[in-house]
Amino acid sequence: MKNIAITIFIVLIVVTLGLYLVSFQVRETECCMVTTFGEPTRRQITEPGWYFKWPFPIQQVHKFDSRMRVFTPEVEETRTAGGEPIIVNTYVVWRISEPLKFFNSVKTVRNAEDELLRSRIRNTQNNVIGRHYFSEFVNSDPEKIKFEDIQRDMLTELKAAVADAQYGIEIEAVGIKQLKVSEEVSKEVFERMRAERNRRAEAITAQGEAEKIKIETEANSISDELIAAAEARAKVIRGKGDAQAAKYYKMLEADPELAAFLRDLEALQKMLEKRTTYVVPTDKEPFSLLKGMPDLEPVEPNEP
Amino acid sequence: MTEQNKKNNTDLRLNVPHKSAPDEFDVAGKSLSEALRISFIILKIIMIVLVIAFLASGFKTVGSEEQALVLRFGKIRGVGEERLLGPGLHWILPYPIDEIVKIPVETKVSLLIDSFWYHESESERISGQSRIRPNDPLNPLIDGYCLTRSEHQVNPTLITGMQGDSISSRQVESNGGRSISPDSNGSDYNIVHSKWQLIYQVDNPEQFYVNVLIPDVRPGETYLNVIKKGVTPLLKSMFEDTVVSVMVNYTIDEAISSRDRIPRDVKTLLQDKLDEIESGIKVVSVQLTQSVYSPQVKAAFEASTLASQNSAKAITEARTYAYNTISKAAGPVADELFAALHDETVSDETREYLWSQVAGTAQEKMSDARVYATKVEKDAEANANYLLSLLPEYRQRPKLVIQKLYLDAIEKIIADADEKFFIQTSEAAKDKEIRVQLNKDPLLKSEKIRKQATEGNR
Repeated sequence: MKNIAITIFIVLIVVTLGLYLVSFQVRETECCMVTTFGEPTRRQITEPGWYFKWPFPIQQVHKFDSRMRVFTPEVEETRTAGGEPIIVNTYVVWRISEPLKFFNSVKTVRNAEDELLRSRIRNTQNNVIGRHYFSEFVNSDPEKIKFEDIQRDMLTELKAAVADAQYGIEIEAVGIKQLKVSEEVSKEVFERMRAERNRRAEAITAQGEAEKIKIETEANSISDELIAAAEARAKVIRGKGDAQAAKYYKMLEADPELAAFLRDLEALQKMLEKRTTYVVPTDKEPFSLLKGMPDLEPVEPNEP
Repeated sequence: MTEQNKKNNTDLRLNVPHKSAPDEFDVAGKSLSEALRISFIILKIIMIVLVIAFLASGFKTVGSEEQALVLRFGKIRGVGEERLLGPGLHWILPYPIDEIVKIPVETKVSLLIDSFWYHESESERISGQSRIRPNDPLNPLIDGYCLTRSEHQVNPTLITGMQGDSISSRQVESNGGRSISPDSNGSDYNIVHSKWQLIYQVDNPEQFYVNVLIPDVRPGETYLNVIKKGVTPLLKSMFEDTVVSVMVNYTIDEAISSRDRIPRDVKTLLQDKLDEIESGIKVVSVQLTQSVYSPQVKAAFEASTLASQNSAKAITEARTYAYNTISKAAGPVADELFAALHDETVSDETREYLWSQVAGTAQEKMSDARVYATKVEKDAEANANYLLSLLPEYRQRPKLVIQKLYLDAIEKIIADADEKFFIQTSEAAKDKEIRVQLNKDPLLKSEKIRKQATEGNR
């Protein structure tokens, strides 16, 4: 009984250790290939799981991390189709897809980036950008901007180039993460931006001025027109008043002379109502009284 | 065992190994088996403990902000929803059969990106004062920026509420003809600097684990920090790429003012890119925290802004003036009335109603007219009545009536006069002339005049 337990235990340990020697696990994040006496065999494993092999000195397993890596080469100056210098900083997302080819050609990630990717990216970049005009990167007409297309072209081309090289590498994404111009050009851009702003400031000022004048003129004309219309109505009202008054003038015809006299008197009073300096000789009635007492005789009453 | 026994054993073994010294063997065997037994028991306990410990090592806790994947022999275990373990305690087969990978899916991570900002020295950043002069270029290696497209045509909404800017759009477009190099036809662009904040989280743990390179956790590091370190280069590159792609579609004014639209575009495009490579990362939010023109062109931009403001101000003032003028002319119904006067379809009643509501100068004119009309009529009526009432008396005694009226009038006039001069007429003074110096305004009469007057009177 005791012995059986011990035996099982020992066997288990031995088997486990044995399995470690003759098998290996491949994780989801890995891929690997096997060498026999140092010679790469054709066996490569990209699916995760549990695999067997011959123990150590005979076969050896080389694992690679198959997850996505980002590689950013140095900033490069290149030229567009029109010869305009442009400074781009690209990045590449890549992964090891075929461990066997990868092992045979470059072996390490650093080698892959230095030997293969850097030069391939530079070529692709120069080719693709060289096929496009600067006006396709940025354009005042949004319809003409082909920035996305350019990046897609780069991806296609780089994928093809890397596949041709048979390095066991796959490109997942390529993009331009900095799009710049040279120092000299940046000065010119600033110069132009300033000029454009100044022009615009002037335009805006002129426009504002014009608008202001327009609004004011319009207001004045509306105001004038309304007042004129009001005046016209006022005239009508006045005319009606005059017409009403005219009715009474007929009544004055009873004695036109008296009417005229009354009117003159009234006018005289009105005219001389205020601020009058009055100079008069004393021989006019009633100032003749100032000369001396009048000679009055009572009138005999005419008794009937 | 003694020396003696040993010797005996050696001697006897050759001839009768099985017969001699059974007692000694028995004792020795007994103690040996006793020792073995005890060590077996101990071994057994150790074994049991080991087995229990081995099995117990399969218990794993998943934190509340995490989800976990289980790798069996390196391959993700389960199908469908079973592939993911939620928060709580779980038992899996112990290493090396199963392995757990915990992914913090609920944790939102913020990433600040200032690679589109111009280079600032430490002291500039602290003091907030830039030493950049208008003629300084941007160094493509250290200064970050985006290119934005230039105006296709001037945006009419640039000045609030301003319409019909045919002047400026023509002027600005004429500028498009002057380009800095032959292939930049229509490619006039501007430079804008920006700072961003990106918040992301892991959305799909499986894709994330399989595709995104996360370094191994070293002692002293938290898993979250390692994730950040692993994700940042990828995410930052893709984010920058997205920003560059989006910004070329906007003008500098939009880039500076539109803090909603551009981040929304960036978010959408970035999510597409991340989905395309199956990163399992979800963009939670994108914010454009800062977005400015270069210090080199600050003066011109500020002048332009000032011009806009001044223009807007002038227009507001003009509107106020217009409102006041029109109100002054005809009051609150002015505009309505004006429209009615020019609109044939408006009925006369409406027009009359509007006229009745009129205020201001127009109303003044009309009420003046009304006063005049009433007055004229009343005066005429009064005069007529007066004449008619006077007439019977006048017909009887014309002289007396006239005289009375006349003298009443003269009396009133003289009583009202401010200055009065009475000149004695005599035959002697017939050829002499009298000069009276009159002040323009009799109310300002002076001593001098009075003196002269008295002299003249003499």
